[in-house]
Amino acid sequence: MNRWTDRLRLLGSLALQDLWHDRKVSLCIAASLVAVIAPLLLLFGLKHGVVSQLQDELLRDPRNLEVKMLSNGNYDTAWIERLRLRPETGFALGQTRSLNTQADLLIGMQRFVEGAEIIATEPGDPQLNLAALTPVGNQVILSASAAQRLQAKVGDSVQLRALRRLDGVNERGEMTLTVLAVLDGARFGRAAGFVAPPLLLDLEHFRDGYQVSAFGVATGKPLGNLQPLYARARVYARDIDQVAPLEHWLNEQHIETSSRLADIDNVKAINHVLGLIFGVIAMAALIGCVASMVGAFLANIDRKRKSLAVLRLLGFKRRAVGGFVVLQALILSLAGYIGGLGFYAVGSHLFDYLLGSSQATGTFVCRITVWHGVAALLLTFLVAALVAVIGALRAINIQPAESLREL
Amino acid sequence: MLDIKNLLVRRGEGAQAHHVRLPNLQVGAGEILAITGESGSGKSTLLEAIGLLLAPVELERFRLGATQAQDIAHLLATDDQPALAAVRSRHLGFILQSGGLLPFLSVRDNISLPRRLLGMSAKSEHIDHAVDVLRLQGLLDKQPQALSIGERQRVACVRAIAHEPLLLLADEPTAALDPLSARRLFELLLSLVSSMGLSALVVSHDWALLKDFGLPRLGAINRQGETLFEPMD
Repeated sequence: MNRWTDRLRLLGSLALQDLWHDRKVSLCIAASLVAVIAPLLLLFGLKHGVVSQLQDELLRDPRNLEVKMLSNGNYDTAWIERLRLRPETGFALGQTRSLNTQADLLIGMQRFVEGAEIIATEPGDPQLNLAALTPVGNQVILSASAAQRLQAKVGDSVQLRALRRLDGVNERGEMTLTVLAVLDGARFGRAAGFVAPPLLLDLEHFRDGYQVSAFGVATGKPLGNLQPLYARARVYARDIDQVAPLEHWLNEQHIETSSRLADIDNVKAINHVLGLIFGVIAMAALIGCVASMVGAFLANIDRKRKSLAVLRLLGFKRRAVGGFVVLQALILSLAGYIGGLGFYAVGSHLFDYLLGSSQATGTFVCRITVWHGVAALLLTFLVAALVAVIGALRAINIQPAESLREL
Repeated sequence: MLDIKNLLVRRGEGAQAHHVRLPNLQVGAGEILAITGESGSGKSTLLEAIGLLLAPVELERFRLGATQAQDIAHLLATDDQPALAAVRSRHLGFILQSGGLLPFLSVRDNISLPRRLLGMSAKSEHIDHAVDVLRLQGLLDKQPQALSIGERQRVACVRAIAHEPLLLLADEPTAALDPLSARRLFELLLSLVSSMGLSALVVSHDWALLKDFGLPRLGAINRQGETLFEPMD
């Protein structure tokens, strides 16, 4: 026994051989662990599955992140910039007055959309969620509804037409746009075209009677050094948790807003309640588990007192006997954990199979992440270590002389 | 080999205390000495003290070993537990009343465990020899609970000498055996001790058996609150 690895190997093999020899009792202890671990994992899987599914649904719809500004105001570029720099803000973009955001889109004489919404967009717009595609210059991204009515596809040219009345004369401005992409139907319901912000400003200036060469008209006031003023902003929170503070900040600026905060709070409340229920059940189960394991371990050590005394007589040191007990606890808890994980796998598949396809429950999921599994393993080892330390404290006090005395 | 002078151990406290005194004891290599006495006279207490499991109250001399005898008395006086445990596991071999085999190890593993604990190779010639002499070849792969009591005691004998100790301590090894098996075990024990050159102390109350083998004997003389162990014939 010169090297400690040899000692550890001998100790490990003795611990394993003892467990195997006593396999009925070992099975009982491991099974009591499985009986705690498997239901807790299933319960946690359900809680996590239900909550994360609700959260996914919230996240899938960008409107849940949006804080709508209800009234028009006058906001300069600096204010928009301040809004953008707030930590709660995920995306913010100035918008023109709502009347000026409408224009007609047409291809030839037959295919047209009257009064389509023209909306400014920039990279990172959650409404579009098209990371790589952002319109620049004369490019446009059409909503599914607009594309369908125009029968337009990517690469087509679309005419944008706006009307104005200047000095009693009706004027018509037109420019040609290229379709960059077509949005998924679920992303935006109405007929709309998403364009780069300067193009929307051009549209507003044209409506306001300025001379805008892009629309092919030479009439109107010269633009001069006109600073853009926005009527409102399209604002999205960075994540679900930031909606409330962002809305609060806007309200502090005396801006009326609306958001889906109530839905978000609902999910949070469900998460909180389920978490609390799970926590209480888990605590009760863990206390029972620790108590039953301490009992089983102490009884086991009393039963093996003679063997442990013989080991001491043969030259096992106190700490080796303690290690023997701790090692057995760890092996048993590992077996219990693996068994629990197996039962969890079967149970969660059963849930998904029996309930997942049902119309009444919608998509039903029971799942845990790898990290939850690791956390459960560490918790199991923690319980085992606690039990083992109590057992080892008793075991190391067994004297070698006890092997000589017959009781 | 073993040389003890003026050993006094105490069991219990105050008025309940019982003293066991050993004025003188010398056992040479290959010699076997019996310790006899009535039940409760303190035979096992004496064995525990010699087996370094119980600290003595008084001790003049305790030496163990052939040429370079180790001064055990010094270790006991300074209460050097790690060193005492090392001496115990390296130089002493115990045969317990009920065998004391580990139930979860096979006979083979039980026998090799003392050697593996000391970092010695699991195999050795004299283990093979002892296994031969005690006729244990067919039992090596069995578990202890599959053996008869006599077989278990024979295995315990081999385990006790597996790591080539200097001193063998046996606590009534034949107590649980029928007379014939007891006699056979004794014979085998004697032959092992003499062939390996060990010293051995055997606690026994089987007077007839000891007489038949003509073993030198250390007998208990009971006095008030004290037991004295002296050589007898």
